Amino acid sequence: MAAVSLDAFLAEIEGLRAEASAALDAAADEAAVEGARVEFLGARSGRLKSIQKMLGGLAPADKPAAGKHFNDAKGAITALLTAAQARLAGGTTTAVEAIDVTLPGEPFRFGHLHPITQTIRRVQEIMARLGFESVTGPEVEDQWHNFEALAIGTEHPARDPLDNFYLAVARGADPLLLRSQTSTVQIRVMEQRKPPLRIVSLGRVYRPDTADATHYPMFHQVEGLLVEPGTTMAHLKSVLRFFASSFLGGDVKVRFRPSFFPFTEPSVEVDMEWGGRWIEMGGAGMVDPAVLEAVGYDPDAVTGFAFGLGVERIAARRYGVADIRDFYRNDVRFLEQF
Amino acid sequence: MILSRTWLADYVHLDAPTEEIVERLLMAGLNHESTTAHGADEAIEIEVTSNRPDWLGHIGVARELAVLFGRPLHVPDPRPAGTGPAAAESIAIEIRSPEICPFYCGRVIRGVRIGPSPPWLVERLATVGVATVNNVVDITNYVMLECGQPLHAFDLEKLRGGQIVVRRAVAGEAFTAINHKTYTLTDQMCVIADAERPVALAGVMGGADSEISDATTDILLESAQFAPLAVRAAARGLVLASGSSYRFERGPDPAAVDWASRRAVALIVELAGGSLAAGVVEAGALACSPATMQLRDSRAAEVLGVEVPGPRQREILMSLGFVQESSGAGASRWRAPSWRRDAWREIDLVEEIARIEGYDRVPEDQPIAARPVELSSRERAVRAVSEVLVAAGFCEAMTRSVVAEPLEKTQSPWSEAPPLVCQPALIRGADRLRRTLLPSLLEARAGTLAVGAPHGELFEIAHAYVPRTAAPPADLLAESPVEEPLLVSLVTAGEYLRAKGLAEAVLARLGIGAGRLPPGGDSCVEYRPFVSDLFVAGRAAEIVLHRRELQPARVGVVGEIAAVLLDAHSLIGPVAAFELRLDRLDFAIAEERRLVRPSDFPAVERDINLVVDEGVPWSGIAAAIHAAAGPLVEQCTLVQVWQDAERLGAGKKSVVVSLRLRSDSGTLSGDEAARVIDAVVAECGRRVGAVLR
Repeated sequence: MAAVSLDAFLAEIEGLRAEASAALDAAADEAAVEGARVEFLGARSGRLKSIQKMLGGLAPADKPAAGKHFNDAKGAITALLTAAQARLAGGTTTAVEAIDVTLPGEPFRFGHLHPITQTIRRVQEIMARLGFESVTGPEVEDQWHNFEALAIGTEHPARDPLDNFYLAVARGADPLLLRSQTSTVQIRVMEQRKPPLRIVSLGRVYRPDTADATHYPMFHQVEGLLVEPGTTMAHLKSVLRFFASSFLGGDVKVRFRPSFFPFTEPSVEVDMEWGGRWIEMGGAGMVDPAVLEAVGYDPDAVTGFAFGLGVERIAARRYGVADIRDFYRNDVRFLEQF
Repeated sequence: MILSRTWLADYVHLDAPTEEIVERLLMAGLNHESTTAHGADEAIEIEVTSNRPDWLGHIGVARELAVLFGRPLHVPDPRPAGTGPAAAESIAIEIRSPEICPFYCGRVIRGVRIGPSPPWLVERLATVGVATVNNVVDITNYVMLECGQPLHAFDLEKLRGGQIVVRRAVAGEAFTAINHKTYTLTDQMCVIADAERPVALAGVMGGADSEISDATTDILLESAQFAPLAVRAAARGLVLASGSSYRFERGPDPAAVDWASRRAVALIVELAGGSLAAGVVEAGALACSPATMQLRDSRAAEVLGVEVPGPRQREILMSLGFVQESSGAGASRWRAPSWRRDAWREIDLVEEIARIEGYDRVPEDQPIAARPVELSSRERAVRAVSEVLVAAGFCEAMTRSVVAEPLEKTQSPWSEAPPLVCQPALIRGADRLRRTLLPSLLEARAGTLAVGAPHGELFEIAHAYVPRTAAPPADLLAESPVEEPLLVSLVTAGEYLRAKGLAEAVLARLGIGAGRLPPGGDSCVEYRPFVSDLFVAGRAAEIVLHRRELQPARVGVVGEIAAVLLDAHSLIGPVAAFELRLDRLDFAIAEERRLVRPSDFPAVERDINLVVDEGVPWSGIAAAIHAAAGPLVEQCTLVQVWQDAERLGAGKKSVVVSLRLRSDSGTLSGDEAARVIDAVVAECGRRVGAVLR
């Protein structure tokens, strides 16, 4: 007759297992976990050790089953202990193999927008806050939109064949050309719509400059136009100051210097204070009355302003690009930096 | 334009340091380039805008400084007296082309001694960067730099026939300039001729065989007006720009024509001796008609947004040389000075007031009213597409719109007409307006891989340019003979299906699915085999858009780049590409999105293995599946295609398709799913002869 029945042994094991589980789950700090470890798994006087001693009192036929249950319980309690330790150490509750956390991550390559595009979008977003709508127009233009409507008469040097990319195709008698400015789009929009009007025209323009670090025969312009009754140069300056402060950050000062453009009068160069220096950002002015008349507006009823920015120039400055030809080399090592 | 600091002091006394002078000029519209010391003098380089030829002489700049600093301006008024035989006895002047030379006057000086200029003259010319030649030539240059009116001195004895004729050049006429180069002229150019041949290219440069030499004793001094276009045609056409042509292209002060002549004569007589012949020989009539214009009292404030008191406005205009002709209720009338032909309207007076008053007075805190604004669907499409491609790992390239002939040899998916050509070339022989972006992107890919970039996965969004052949649609470009499709193109390492997958992603982002017109949708695309020298034969498709009530239209091409193009760029294949017409696809992004609520019921997955003839396209099988199963098909995935003549029979292929079926009104039972699959198999059998394996 065995001293201990199998049922009693199993009940003892299950009871211990439940108690250990409760104690370890409840353990709120390392000391409590250690206390539980000593109580249940202690090598000399742990309660599991005591139960192990009961094995000797079992009938020999029951011993294999009892041993298996004992080992299962010991494994389970050990796992609970490890989990409790991991929980307190902030780790996961399942023990996994440690890895070298300094190994490189799985590569994930994302792409990049061209820095010119990023610059244009930034300008568009700032101007949108002021109610300016982005518009585009054809790059192959006629002489009316590229010159005449912009008050650039036939005698103006800007129309010289050497200063433009004329095409061998004409509309009417005048050969078409690649537009030399995005003001053409302003004319097209004004021809279609009536004031009030706020637009930003943008895109590629073309001038026969020899390519060097600061010139390229193809470049991008962003031009703003506002035509509303009562518009003054004070509105122009205020809008540009808002733009400069948003684009460059901080409270940026704007300075106007007199200049000359055929399609604005008065015309000014716009300087913005950047890094303690006055930086030329572009040209601006009040829309010339001749331009307003060309599109059928009454210059006594509405006034407007326009301004233009060279995108390459401001992108080059913003990103520290010393040679604007780099924008068109399409070297992925360049593009991936933006 | 280079100014001498001491020279300016001849006309206006300034004690301000040069830095301050330069700053004041800058804020008045004269851009400062540099200041360099030149002995005791300073050379101040300024940039003069094309509307202000009066600033192309020291007096003009001094006049501006006198206004800015409130100092008097001193301009000499030489009146050299003539003696001896009248000038008209030595020379006759005739203008045959008054449209390019309205006025010409000549003075004759006899008995000069040609020699070096005195040190003060040499130094001043050196400061402003003009080489000295001899006293007479130096004086003509000096007076031009003083007042902006170019002059020319002829050796009177070398002029044949005692005659000056101002006329258009005869096309093909030869002329040897004082630089001893010979030029072939056109009839757009104006020449000064004697009785026999051209002796000067009007307004540009004198001739070699009538120039002032050491042996010269008698001089004809020319001062004239020439039309800007004729001078520009000569200077540009012959690449022969000079200080003279630069000024004539902009239009000197008409009042300076006679002044400069008198001034130069006085200096020649003083420095080279000789005596002025009596009289002036003139031809034509001086073109000088100063504009008059009205200025409303309120206009400056209406334009500038800042009040400038009336008396101050008058003070500014009068100091600049404008003359008040009258003043009435609410407005005054002004006449421009002869040297200000840029000022002829009210707005020009407003600008002068602003310029002198200073733009720093214009406030910068004037709010504008809020206004709603929206991105156009074109712009939204561009952004959506670039978002997808950036996420997929592509870098945005920007390649040239105008390309060299080798890049335009291949076919364009968008035009069979030859490319447009521009003159001059954009850069190094690139004179063709591209009709597709793909060759440029291949070039860019090759370029970046050649310098060792980690990859050459590029896309670009840009216009192409194609001559219109059909009637244009009614839009902004209605009358233009050139169409500018907006394209998104991409090149990638991989085969056809790689590029197609990317194209499908882009189209899906825009809201366009493949295959069929869905019940709720308005558009879909179809891929049809496409043949072009851009792509490998049999590995390219055109993407055709179907829209309700519209003709199907090609909106894209996708394929594997042809080996000959890869070789041309030394690219290793396979390289695949697509090009899509955003201008024909952007409508989709504008369409309203309405939620289709995902079904709460479980899905049933079923695989079917169909055996079909090997020529049956996937699109045919997919169409049959969708037709049979309708909206219950949530997903239809091609799992595998294989061929095995022994197991399937020759000319057959097995197509394994995985279908995920789901209803939005209840859980599909096994029987219902089986009925759907039976219907699918039957429909595939009917349409493409499929049998279940």
